Amino acid sequence: MQLEIQNVSKRYSKDKFGIKDFSITVEKGILGLLGPNGAGKSSLLKMITTLIKPTDGIITLNKNNIVKDANYMRKQLGFLPQDFGVYPNLNAYEFLEYMAALKGVGGKNLKLKITQLLEELNLMDAAKKPIGSYSGGMKQRMGIAQALLNNPKILILDEPTVGLDPEERVRFRNLISDLANDCIVILSSHIVSDIDSIADQVAVMKNGKLIAKGNPEDIIKNVNNKVFETTIDKEQFSVFKAQQIIVSTKRIEGKILIRYISENHVKSSVKKQANLEDAYLFLTKTN
Amino acid sequence: MKSFFIIIKSDYLQRTRSYAFSITLCASLAIAYTFVPEPNASYSTIKIGDYVGFYNSAWFGYVTAIMTSIFLSLIGFYLINSGIKKDVETKVGQIVATTPISNFKYLFSKVLSNFLVLLSITFLVFLMSLVLFFLYHDDFSFELFQFIKPYLIITLPALFFISVIAVIFEVLFGKYSVLQNVLFFIFFSSLMVFTPKTDAAFSLDIFGSKIVIHELEETVRGITNAEKEMDLTIGYILSNAEQAKKFQFEGIDFPMSFILSRLLIFLLGVVLIALTSPFFHRFNIKEKSSNKKSKPIVEKTKINKEIILTSFPELRINYSISALLKTEFVLLVRKGNKWLWLFNVIGMILLAVLPSKIAHQMVLPVLWFLQVSRLSDLTTKEITNNTHYFAFTSYKPIGRLLISQLLAGIALMLLVALPLIIRLGLSSNFSNIPAIILGGILIVIFAVLLGILSKGKKLFEVLFFLITYANINRIPFLDYFGGLKHHPLFLVKLALLIFILAGISLLLRKYQLKK
Repeated sequence: MQLEIQNVSKRYSKDKFGIKDFSITVEKGILGLLGPNGAGKSSLLKMITTLIKPTDGIITLNKNNIVKDANYMRKQLGFLPQDFGVYPNLNAYEFLEYMAALKGVGGKNLKLKITQLLEELNLMDAAKKPIGSYSGGMKQRMGIAQALLNNPKILILDEPTVGLDPEERVRFRNLISDLANDCIVILSSHIVSDIDSIADQVAVMKNGKLIAKGNPEDIIKNVNNKVFETTIDKEQFSVFKAQQIIVSTKRIEGKILIRYISENHVKSSVKKQANLEDAYLFLTKTN
Repeated sequence: MKSFFIIIKSDYLQRTRSYAFSITLCASLAIAYTFVPEPNASYSTIKIGDYVGFYNSAWFGYVTAIMTSIFLSLIGFYLINSGIKKDVETKVGQIVATTPISNFKYLFSKVLSNFLVLLSITFLVFLMSLVLFFLYHDDFSFELFQFIKPYLIITLPALFFISVIAVIFEVLFGKYSVLQNVLFFIFFSSLMVFTPKTDAAFSLDIFGSKIVIHELEETVRGITNAEKEMDLTIGYILSNAEQAKKFQFEGIDFPMSFILSRLLIFLLGVVLIALTSPFFHRFNIKEKSSNKKSKPIVEKTKINKEIILTSFPELRINYSISALLKTEFVLLVRKGNKWLWLFNVIGMILLAVLPSKIAHQMVLPVLWFLQVSRLSDLTTKEITNNTHYFAFTSYKPIGRLLISQLLAGIALMLLVALPLIIRLGLSSNFSNIPAIILGGILIVIFAVLLGILSKGKKLFEVLFFLITYANINRIPFLDYFGGLKHHPLFLVKLALLIFILAGISLLLRKYQLKK
């Protein structure tokens, strides 16, 4: 399996690009997609899922140009959008049967597969109730179920853990890892720790461009020996903030404990082990 | 007060800055263009006996003002009757509910923004009437006041009242859109049937058209010295306008009581909104409905073992559309409240028991119109329910999904018409059956086309209402189901139209998906 995105651009108006000259090659495994709001992650995912077409460039899956032959991608695709809806008058069985029909899969095992998916995703108790009465987390699990229905060879997950409780998040992360043995998984998330723990490769985007790509360790190398912690008075905070890249802050007895990234650390700072979140902030703030 | 106007302005901008509104404006302009027929046109809109007016300023001003008052009241209701619903859907209502704004102020702001939306369309129609005057006038001088006066006195109060009615209906019957449609249809028809004869009675005419029509009749009667009432027609009547006799119409000096009554309409609107305010749900809808409907699900047991995908059975490729068709049909049937099917059942019984002519001409179009919210949703529900991510990335979304949507819609229309079809078949009256089947197909394709084109439901709902109103008034031009006598080529024309509209729909959807 190989997904190739070559010099892809998406122009929305004369000077407004969602994606600009973007190239990346993705192979079996998990690609974590990180970037601030407006970085172009959604535009990229929409192009990969054939929802929109690029203005320039080509996207190929196993050497097949999916810009021209969208159905080649659609037959193998599992997609969990960030903000999807359901038909509230259908129950879980009916909705998943509909999704299976849309994807062009069926047969005598369909009912059994839906039942098993619903059981595994803890939706069996509500399977015969209208989806309109589901909670946000349950709807999210319905979304996961439909994405897995057709044994996808390429799975696109946009903010998949939103609405899931901590236990479900862990189960879902393990599930994605399991899936990635067989297919391409592209996982876009704001929760860096979700990506940190499972991604084989990480791509960082900003302003429609790819600013870094590599395995998490390579990405983290960008901030090795640049992450520090220090404690300052509250009054000093605004000056400090203007001079350094702040990762996190914590109030302790009238003072502020700050984790920050810097080439030139301030006195009394303690060097810390860098992580993916540090690297992500560093890359997006400095590029 | 300033904040009140900001609310109205924001609401107005939100509604008008949409693709659907632009399409509506275009449709309104196209309709307005037909209000005063081109001199050689084969139809008339207002005709008194054999007479139409000379194309002077007064004729243009009054005819377009009356037509706007009637037509925009009819279709305008459907354009504006979802202001509160939109706030529910966008969840802006929940924020509104927690602000200090009173129910009256909120509802009145909706009335005014409704009114502004209708005024925007009216303004364009008004401009169109000026353009038409300069295109067709018979060397008569241009008198701007003859244009402004009827719009101010006839059209504006009528549209304000419709804006009020739309909000009241939304407050009282917000959850039942079909009921709103049916009640407004009855309300509108009653107002149209009302035929006042005295100055005092003219004051009660909300649309304000009756006094003008009376004056037109009187003028023609003065010319012809006719004793009995003239045969007056309003609407699109097939006849050559050029062959009609002409008379001079110079406008009306409205009696003071009539002008006062127009002002009182505004006051009445304010009072009605004040009386309705206590019944407004103030977006406390979930709590109300959850008592009756299915309660939010509380999850019980949870399995926390790992999900093992390899244990799942393999599915086989199946590109048949039968499963899609089945679900699309289920979605159509389940749309709206269950008890609304009672109307359908009653309608189907009437199709079976009433004289076949009435069943065909009157009951069938109304029964089909009752499916309006189902049909208008047919190709727009992916967007409104936010399922387009799944639908448009599915395998062959046009060849499979769109086709199954079309077939499901047609199946629904033929299902509700089935008693009439069976009845005609049993009485060996086979000639009408193809027209009914083609009519059902045509209206579904029309819904699909307008849904794809406007990306919303309103345009189809408005036009379907207009068509149904014309059907009940037996206007041959819009008889799409063979209720009236037609030329032998009628079926061929219907089939051709279906073919063309279906082709355009497929191409548009293809273009839409490409974009």
